[in-house]
Amino acid sequence: MKVFSLILKNVGRNPLRSTLTALGTMVLVFVVVMVWSVLWLLDLVTAEKKENLKGIVTERWSVPSRMPFAYAATLAEGAARNPGDVRPTDSMTWQFYPGTLDQKKLTRESMVFAIACEPDKLATMMEGLDSLSPKEAAVLKHGIERLKANRQGIILGYNHLANINRMIGDVRDTNVEKLIGKRLKLYGIGGYKGLDLEFDIEGVFPAGRYDNLGAFNREYFMNAMDQYPLTHSGRKHLMADRNLNLVWLKVPDMQAFNRVNAQIEGSPFYQDPAVKCETASSGLAAMLEPLRDLIWGFRFLVAPACFVTLSLVIANGISISVRERRPELAVMKVLGFRPLQLLSMVLGESVLLGTVAGLASAALTYGVINWYFGGLRFPIGFFDRFFIPAAALWWGTAIGGGAALVGSFFPAWTARNVKPAEVFSKVA
Amino acid sequence: MAQENGMIVRVRGVHKFFRRGSERLDVLNNLTLDVPEGEYLGLMGPSGSGKTTLLNLIAGLDRPSEGEVWVGQEQISAMSEAQLARWRTRSIGFIFQFYHLLPVLSAYENVELPLLLLGLSRAERRQQVMTALELVGLADRIHHRPGQLSGGQQQRVGIARAIVTDPTLIVADEPTGDLDARSAEEILDLLVELRRSLRKTILLVTHDPRAAQRADRVLHLDKGQLVEQAA
Repeated sequence: MKVFSLILKNVGRNPLRSTLTALGTMVLVFVVVMVWSVLWLLDLVTAEKKENLKGIVTERWSVPSRMPFAYAATLAEGAARNPGDVRPTDSMTWQFYPGTLDQKKLTRESMVFAIACEPDKLATMMEGLDSLSPKEAAVLKHGIERLKANRQGIILGYNHLANINRMIGDVRDTNVEKLIGKRLKLYGIGGYKGLDLEFDIEGVFPAGRYDNLGAFNREYFMNAMDQYPLTHSGRKHLMADRNLNLVWLKVPDMQAFNRVNAQIEGSPFYQDPAVKCETASSGLAAMLEPLRDLIWGFRFLVAPACFVTLSLVIANGISISVRERRPELAVMKVLGFRPLQLLSMVLGESVLLGTVAGLASAALTYGVINWYFGGLRFPIGFFDRFFIPAAALWWGTAIGGGAALVGSFFPAWTARNVKPAEVFSKVA
Repeated sequence: MAQENGMIVRVRGVHKFFRRGSERLDVLNNLTLDVPEGEYLGLMGPSGSGKTTLLNLIAGLDRPSEGEVWVGQEQISAMSEAQLARWRTRSIGFIFQFYHLLPVLSAYENVELPLLLLGLSRAERRQQVMTALELVGLADRIHHRPGQLSGGQQQRVGIARAIVTDPTLIVADEPTGDLDARSAEEILDLLVELRRSLRKTILLVTHDPRAAQRADRVLHLDKGQLVEQAA
């Protein structure tokens, strides 16, 4: 306890230097925590699950995938056609509908990206929506019930609702839930030009992953497609025959997935266009493929570079401290402190500083990014924003402490090897 | 601790040289010295004569290039660094010219520092620290940090730290070198008093003839050899 008290006093003996070293540590731990948080999430979503896998069926040779809606019913059954074939436990169709709130001025804020689907599937098939808190789950369930009851309903992500708030003038108003019950009109863009849809806002997605998404009833979408020729001289809409983008299939394990995959890819029904089936994680990994070098750079260059820089910052601070205290360290040796004890004391000072600064940085990052900013905006694939995981608290602590240990080892070794006779002859 | 013929310190045929590049610098040459238990020995000599080097060898802070150094029954010139560290805690009290107190610790904590290595209870440590501080007349300054004490008071704390473990031998390297005349007199009186009341063996290195006057015996060193012995 006394030795710990001495370590504490040594850390506090030069408050400016200790504070600057701690701040340097905090900044670099912040960078590493941010980088690792993104990598951690990407690892998590691209890691193959062992059970309750999701398979994604898409068009094989074309991006974006556009399959005929006629595929939906059989794909939902995993193309099971023979006795003994494996059927998915659940499925969900995705029909992407991009629209704009302002037909005259297309801006990022006015765009809404929505999927037409079966409302019930939102709770059971969408990633991350099957593991909500009870309160969030209740809000979502309420929205889904309203969506089922009102075929023209839509559930929107927070960002879309916030953009609508801004467009109607309430720039500072963050209460987006007041928009529930209001009507909005989306003008189709891209391939859906000419297909304009009116919606009643029926709910908001729980904050996070689906902040930039909308979801509505596919019956309304298909009905609008069917009605389109009536107002367009009998012409079908351009996307009428190819508007099924994805089918998600839930299977219990990898063996079942392989069977379903073989059934689908071996089916003569899916020839024009051909389809492919892959796990959700490998689908995401494929989506992230263009970013592979960037992710590699973050993982193997940026994070280690931060760690090395952090070690050097700490090495510099501790080296100066040891050099200044050589006479004191020599006195401690004279009094009987052994070399290992001096080494441990200096390492202890450094690790204490690094650990506390690392923990403080990680806790601040966690609080500010998750609670204050509501996540870190970093759109990749389906992800709009990332959150700092709770595990970052121990990463930060470990990075700070570890870098301090590495960085202070040489100065601590110098302290260990202080020769009292030499030090005092120089002092004299 | 039993000694040979009542000698607490025995230095036998000690050579000490340092190398500076290819040059060899002989500091002590075939030096032999006996110090009886309870003696107050003064070591004088010009700068570079080897006084501090001899003191460092006897205190176990350095090793001879040749020869043996015995303190009590221990041949300290043959000990490892870790053994020497343990031995110093129990057997040597060192008083420095520039006090060398740890600035972040109070007077009490500075004196307590060597006791942390002895595995004593908090109460035992407190008793020994207070006894040492009372002996040097600073029991009312226990919470003061070195920066809040005068030079003379800091040296008293240094002396309390040197005696707190009840060592066999006290070595003092120019203990009055950084003090004004009055404070120096007080410190020298204190050393005499400690030697009388605690019956400690004291080795004092000094340039100051007034300091040497208080010693039982004064040895002069020149060019690494004892050249004169005065009663």
